[in-house]
Amino acid sequence: MAGKPKVAICWLGGCGGCDEAVVDINEVILRVVEVFDIVLWPVALDFKYDRIERMDDGAIALSVINGNVRNADQEEMAKLLRRKSQLVVAFGACACFGGTPGLANLRTKKDIFDWVYRDAPTVVNPEKNYPKTKVSSNGAVLTLPEFYEQVYPLNQIIDVDYYLPGCPPPPDLIVNAFMAVLEGKLPPRGSTLAPHKALCDTCERNKTKPSRIAIRDIKRIHEVEAQSNTCFLAQGILCMGPATRTGCGETCININIPCRGCFGPVEGVKDAGAKYISALASIIDAEEEKDVKRILDKVNDEVGYLYRFSVPASILRKRRVSEVEEQ
Amino acid sequence: MTKKLTINPITRLEGHGKIEIFLDDNGGVKDAYFQVVELRGFERFCLGRPAEEMPRIVPNICGVCPSPHNLASTKALDDLYSVEPTPTAKLIRQLHFNAFYVEDHFIHFFFLSAPDFVLGPDADPADRNIVGLIKKVGPDVGGKVIDIRKRCREIIKLIASKPAHPEGGLPGGVSRGITSEEREWIKETADDTVQFTQVALGLFKDLVLGNKKYLDMVMNEAYKLQTYYMGLVDENRKVNFYEGKIRVVDPKGKEYVTFDPRKYADHMGEWVEPWTYVRLTHLRKLGWNGLIEGEGTSLYRVGPLARLNVADGMATPLAQKEYEQMFDALGGKPSHHTLAFHWARLIETLQAAEDMQRIANDPMLTGKDIRNMNLKLKKVGIGCVEAARGTLIHHYETDGQGLITKVNLIVATQQNAAPICLSVKKAASEYIKNGEVKEGMLNRVEMAFRPYDPCLACATHALSGETPLEVIIRDSTGETVKTLKRP
Amino acid sequence: MKHYEPKLVCFSCKFGWGYLADEEELRHRIKNWVPIICSGKIDTIHILDAFKQGADGVLILGCPEGDCHYQDGNYEARKRVYLVQKILGAYGIEPERLRIELAVDPEGNAIPQMVKEMSDAVAKLGPVKKVKERARTAAMAHR
Ligand code: SF4
Ligand code: SF4
Ligand code: SF4
Ligand code: FES
Repeated sequence: MAGKPKVAICWLGGCGGCDEAVVDINEVILRVVEVFDIVLWPVALDFKYDRIERMDDGAIALSVINGNVRNADQEEMAKLLRRKSQLVVAFGACACFGGTPGLANLRTKKDIFDWVYRDAPTVVNPEKNYPKTKVSSNGAVLTLPEFYEQVYPLNQIIDVDYYLPGCPPPPDLIVNAFMAVLEGKLPPRGSTLAPHKALCDTCERNKTKPSRIAIRDIKRIHEVEAQSNTCFLAQGILCMGPATRTGCGETCININIPCRGCFGPVEGVKDAGAKYISALASIIDAEEEKDVKRILDKVNDEVGYLYRFSVPASILRKRRVSEVEEQ
Repeated sequence: MTKKLTINPITRLEGHGKIEIFLDDNGGVKDAYFQVVELRGFERFCLGRPAEEMPRIVPNICGVCPSPHNLASTKALDDLYSVEPTPTAKLIRQLHFNAFYVEDHFIHFFFLSAPDFVLGPDADPADRNIVGLIKKVGPDVGGKVIDIRKRCREIIKLIASKPAHPEGGLPGGVSRGITSEEREWIKETADDTVQFTQVALGLFKDLVLGNKKYLDMVMNEAYKLQTYYMGLVDENRKVNFYEGKIRVVDPKGKEYVTFDPRKYADHMGEWVEPWTYVRLTHLRKLGWNGLIEGEGTSLYRVGPLARLNVADGMATPLAQKEYEQMFDALGGKPSHHTLAFHWARLIETLQAAEDMQRIANDPMLTGKDIRNMNLKLKKVGIGCVEAARGTLIHHYETDGQGLITKVNLIVATQQNAAPICLSVKKAASEYIKNGEVKEGMLNRVEMAFRPYDPCLACATHALSGETPLEVIIRDSTGETVKTLKRP
Repeated sequence: MKHYEPKLVCFSCKFGWGYLADEEELRHRIKNWVPIICSGKIDTIHILDAFKQGADGVLILGCPEGDCHYQDGNYEARKRVYLVQKILGAYGIEPERLRIELAVDPEGNAIPQMVKEMSDAVAKLGPVKKVKERARTAAMAHR
């Protein structure tokens, strides 16, 4: 046992889909278990929190962490694993960029609590109870972790060595990542363990994309029957392909649904939305201001399209320099 | 002095949970709390999103149970846009759902429940897992389970992109059709699944019915809980996962109410307690009567056994036979025996597999008409399906542009949250007397909550002999008195 | 109350704005002035970065309609600005903090005046809200 490199697989604020994705590497998982000593995998194995605490710093070769950070427990866990691990991989869109639950960063904790515990039509709460971090019930003291004001991607809490995007990441890239660690063939720290190109560069439909797309009308996915072999953008349907990193195997495109960007921005781009705005602006076929507005107003949920998986990591959402200085 | 046992973590809903057990002065179990420690606020951050994007966002609520969210959401869109899916689209959606049911139910059964039955609850934990199970029943079975799970997930991928995060689903239809080549391997998968599910059922029955010790355990008071039950039924009151009316029966098995899912808010109430992030669901008209069972309770359970309890039978012939046999063995309907959830789960798998077979052979499956474009926005849409773990409701409201202004969700495990507290309390009571925690308590508590929710804790048994359980006994000052762990 | 002077960043196209003026002299009169070649070269990321770095407003000056030396750089800029304004709004930052003007002013005399006007307008809005408060503003929109 002692010789095998130790691996921890852990979820923070995730949906479990990333853990399912690890299970989905099927036969390979058995090999992973053979060559690595898995010391922690809460959804699958014994939760050895104490044991992790007792380990020497750096004793774990690799921690694969999925999910974002939204409460005190998750922050504590992330920090503990960072201390004990040589390498930390942010696994999945939630860990890399915040993920869809990061859309909550445009709302407050109070707004969420008020709805969930007071205003929703099925709530029955005459005692005006709200979950509390510490409460006595019937003589017993119960605790809950503190729910934070916002969602953080992993690298806003701890240093991250590698990123593996996707919601969830696909099996081939997961296998490659494990193999790279095993064979010591990792790229420089800070790299994303996925191809560098944009989704459009690998998409079959790119062939059908005219050299110059000219959109005069943006269509929502329920409004049209999308052609199954023509570029979505050429059909006036928003597709995040131009600004999204490839590597998923075009799985959504294959079921005739446009990309929403779960792989995050292409290499070297720090804000997926910004990149997309430039790409989209260039294909809008209008010069008059009123035409521009008419067409672009169909982009009725800018954040939901352009930052679906990445609000917490977006430029505007991170704290401004002046706010950081104030502290 | 109040002693406290903590079991952490145990399951997921919108994430993680833990169990706290408190002892009274005499060292008996006073209370047990199943706490959900996470909240993510989907109901709020979905505001402002275009409704048609919802089926692609809500699967992130749970990556173990993403397909039901995807489908409930898609059905809410049908309602929102007053549209019926085309017959072909409906078949494709149901195919997706059945494939999900099979793979989800199977992984739960084989990885999580079966080891308890096949190897016995007191077997050495090092054997009481899928590895031990495979040793006992032969490697063929294990290989077959993995194979069927994989193939069912291929079907999901074909229809809905990533199995852990389905992306398809449109009002009035689906985004992609099925070709005749694809039909061939779908058919094969369906046939193999029906066949193998029967093998699995045979295995289970040989063990349980053939062994008095197991049957006694199933029937044991410690694993019994008298509550109401809720589930969808079709027009013939047969079990239906995808559509129908919600039927509720009382603890005696008498119909309490049957209602259109759109009326859910009249019947389901969510009580808020400060010690959990999850709202505790109960029958609203009866009022919140606290964590009690039997006479006077307003708690109901959902999930496999609940669905079989509320229905008059199964919708497919092979499953129907099994259904009759099960209730015979359990001494009639309704059955309050929590461990029978496992049995019910296998019978449901058989129905899902048979239904998959029906769909795979339906000439309409490969039809080209997969979208009904006759959409009329009516600003309110409610979609309901039976998720593997129980009734699931998505309720959306929008503005005139179809942008979301209101979201309410009732998810399966939240409805079982209060019953789980009670089940744990009962099972623990049998094993904790006078402050003495008997050997085997961990197993028994685990067995009490496991029927409700698999989560991947199943794979627990897959990869190691150890379990995710650790019980810490603390005195009232929080000082740890004793820590119990698996050997 | 402390006098609040908003930080404004002004990008202007060299082909249309102040090309006859003494750049050094203009620079003295306009704080945070970034002359560029064609407004179409201002990437979305530059605008977002300006806000991130603490700008309270961004003013973009491009050539008149039909007069861009790169054909449609100014139109591109205008489309981007419109999209960024929408994004700003969704993030709880007032869209008025970003403006684009397409015109010509070889002497560049109008620039300080336009910057001042926009500064005054932005001063009325006050500083950009902190991240936490912005969530509140954005949430209010969906009440
Ligand atoms: S990245 Fe996607 S699959 Fe992974 S935890 Fe987040 S929501 Fe779930
Ligand atoms: S925009 Fe979308 S459909 Fe078009 S080529 Fe790119 S990824 Fe493919
Ligand atoms: S197509 Fe886009 S949204 Fe879909 S899996 Fe690929 S990167 Fe993610
Ligand atoms: S050259 Fe002035 S805006 Fe393009």
